[in-house]
Amino acid sequence: MNRRVTRPALRAAAFGIAAALALSACSGGADGGSGSTASTAGGLEGEPAEGGVVQVLQNADYSYLDPAKGWDGGVNNFYRLVYRTLTTPASGSAEDPNEIVPDLATDTGTVSDDGLTWTFTLKDGLKFDNGDPITSAEVKFGVSRAWDPEIGIGSPYAKQVIDAPKDYQGPYVSGDLPTIETPDDTTIVFHLKAPFPDFPAVASQPNFAPFPVGSGAGDEFLNDIVASGPYTLDEYTPGSVINLVRNENWDPATDEVRTAKPDGWHFQLGLDPATIDERLLAGQGADVNAIAGNLQPATLARLQDPKYQDRLVDWPGVCTTYMGLNTTKKPLNDVKVRQAISYAVDKAAVQNGTGGTMLADIASTTIPQSVAGYKEFDLYPSEGNTGDVEKAKELLAEAGYADGFDMTLDMRTQPKLQAQAEAVQQSLARVGIKVTFNPIDTSKFYETIGTPKLQNDAAITGWCPDWASSASTVIPPLFDGRRITDKGNSNLGQIDDPAINSAIDDALAVTDPAAANEAWGNLDEQVLEEAPIVPLLVEKVVLLPGENVTGVYSSPGVATGGLDYTGVGLKDPSKG
Amino acid sequence: MVRFLVTRLAGMVGVLFLVVLFTYAIFFALSPDPAVQICGKNCTPELIDQIRTNLGLDRPFYEQFLGFLSGLFVGTTYGTGANAIDCAAPCLGYSFQTGQPVLEMFEQRFGVSATLAVGAAVLWLFMGVAGGMLAAIKKGTWFDRAATGAALGGVSIPNYVLALVLQYVLVVKLGWLPFPQAVPFGADPGQWFLNFVMPWLVLAFTYASMYQRLTRANVLDTLDENFVRTARAKGLAPRLVWRRHALRPALTPVVTLFGMDFAGLLGGAIIIETVFGLNGVGKMASDSITKNDQPVIMGVTLVAAFLVIVGNVIVDIVYTTIDPRVRIGARA
Repeated sequence: MNRRVTRPALRAAAFGIAAALALSACSGGADGGSGSTASTAGGLEGEPAEGGVVQVLQNADYSYLDPAKGWDGGVNNFYRLVYRTLTTPASGSAEDPNEIVPDLATDTGTVSDDGLTWTFTLKDGLKFDNGDPITSAEVKFGVSRAWDPEIGIGSPYAKQVIDAPKDYQGPYVSGDLPTIETPDDTTIVFHLKAPFPDFPAVASQPNFAPFPVGSGAGDEFLNDIVASGPYTLDEYTPGSVINLVRNENWDPATDEVRTAKPDGWHFQLGLDPATIDERLLAGQGADVNAIAGNLQPATLARLQDPKYQDRLVDWPGVCTTYMGLNTTKKPLNDVKVRQAISYAVDKAAVQNGTGGTMLADIASTTIPQSVAGYKEFDLYPSEGNTGDVEKAKELLAEAGYADGFDMTLDMRTQPKLQAQAEAVQQSLARVGIKVTFNPIDTSKFYETIGTPKLQNDAAITGWCPDWASSASTVIPPLFDGRRITDKGNSNLGQIDDPAINSAIDDALAVTDPAAANEAWGNLDEQVLEEAPIVPLLVEKVVLLPGENVTGVYSSPGVATGGLDYTGVGLKDPSKG
Repeated sequence: MVRFLVTRLAGMVGVLFLVVLFTYAIFFALSPDPAVQICGKNCTPELIDQIRTNLGLDRPFYEQFLGFLSGLFVGTTYGTGANAIDCAAPCLGYSFQTGQPVLEMFEQRFGVSATLAVGAAVLWLFMGVAGGMLAAIKKGTWFDRAATGAALGGVSIPNYVLALVLQYVLVVKLGWLPFPQAVPFGADPGQWFLNFVMPWLVLAFTYASMYQRLTRANVLDTLDENFVRTARAKGLAPRLVWRRHALRPALTPVVTLFGMDFAGLLGGAIIIETVFGLNGVGKMASDSITKNDQPVIMGVTLVAAFLVIVGNVIVDIVYTTIDPRVRIGARA
């Protein structure tokens, strides 16, 4: 289950790292999950002053302003400016930005002994932008919209985890949802289908935002929203402009996550990525207050100029780029062959093809370093990560393929992705494996590789977790054999190993977060011994905020490692 | 004249119908499943089916096509129950990606494209026609050579290169102009001009070069015509020969070209809008193609075709006033 990553909501490029890879949109993360910090000193991490307007330069518009519909690394970040949820990932400046912390609720919930009932208490003084109080009824109504077949196309977790009548179709069609109880104005009780210790993370998903009972049918929230966060919508021209102004009814005393120092936010949408970089470099006029998504690789060479070093941000990412090896195809069904490939791949060459060390870190694990649950190991080590040809040949010989074999790699012909594929092709040629490319149009790529019938031997793709507080959204979707579906499949290796499946169940059942994360890390290692995928890289976040921008922190949880909007502000509000 | 118009309009409807049919068929046959794209990676087969039903994609081709056609005339409704969304006639469809009616997207963006087109048209007509005539009059002089050389350059330089070079020089290096944004005229006329002047120049430059070459060649051709020689021989003042006899016939091809170019631009200047990040119809078109947003692609194609065809009809009508031969032909 992956949060579709996109800098600015590329619903189109569809899924996951899809967008991140295809359009070098977002990805990225914090320093090993222990307090994300901008990698450069010099004012990026200061406390913003009160006032001013932050300018956001963006290529694509956000997917949907309705948090029951939208769900990707770009829009989730935006949602936190205008909506609040029961819980939320800690702010990027927190000691552990991966942690889930209370937002509308007073704590991250209390679970019953059988693990099936979660109870939250709301804070006092919560209000919508129209001044109406936010009570448990409004939270319940907001969550229940997730079941509406036409609206609830965003985060799937509420529907997956919370028990509901079989035919429940959201509040507009089916009315009240009996499995969420609101005994009084400040108490809300969720009944789950099965224990889900990560429920606090589920309650941080965008579709846990409250809405006035009865509002939001059809396309009501398309252009006009009911805000619960520190800002509200002033102007919205889809594809062109979003203007946010202060929500006067938001009480900072109730909010430990958002600092909300600027008076407003101005999003300019539809800008050409090269033009965005040009404007960030030039920093003229109001652009001193500008932020944007990842820089284009072509721009990086120009950053050598020392004048940019002070405001250059280079964060590790949270999305793993990997090559899936289809374990149902011969000879990839032989674990020795898959291990041989894991040894043979020259990850340093893949990194070079991606743009070098500034744009990507080499990965040896499925769980990225900046996500909780990461365990450091490298089962297939080699000198300089260039691949161990001898070891690979040995394993191939043991498997009876001393002369190598032919295999087909599903790939896209965009420059970076092609370079990655070619690096793999050349490194496998060293052990006699002849890789043939099957080029797929970008818009059809994920549809194709997500359909087991159409899948070839291997494909290079990526994965981002839906929350960074645990690896429960990394390992199960990629390796749980019972989750293999005819369409939209994410287990590219199609590995269905009873030992792995039961270990996944065990890890999901662990209630202590620290113990759960240890279990995920061990499970990552257990899975990679079977080598259903070859982890290649973790792409980084490279930003160039305007010189007057501060409060710049990475959020692995809400922005797939990109810039956390909730802390951003200006050094001097009178500038620009 | 009436019969002329009626035949033209009937032909126009036929062409538009074919445009719709072909565009629809192409995207129906070739495009990846929009439901899968909307659904994302986390998708389940049930959710895909749900989205397909929501969007009416589960219906056969002819039903979807007829639905689109009828939507154009009587409007249509998307979704069911409380979530139903009305799309009044002329309903151009409903965007998969933005969740907006296509017509509304058009309305929001047409102003930018129209501003670009009108501003650039004024510039290029002036530069192209005046430059072409002057070059023809002063044929063989230094002016003619300079103008012809500049025009050759203008035709040769791709406008996205010119756009980036101008932007680098005028905006980044000299700071004379802002990075263009679509400031509405009503909000601040001064800023409106400063923001649009560079896109106008870039857009006009390529066209002006073509118009200059065309005008020059046509004027020179006309000056060689027998009737001009006759007029001269009859002792008509050179100015009068120019104005009354040479210019009008020389400009008819320019009018034809202008009608099509201008109408095409109203349908969006894809490259210029994309390079400068101006959210006009052209930008919308290119965005919708990369996102495979079929209803928007349909809408843009249809409206662009409509504008070009209407442009042609208007050109034909204008012809009847500037060129008497057409008038006589139509009557016969």
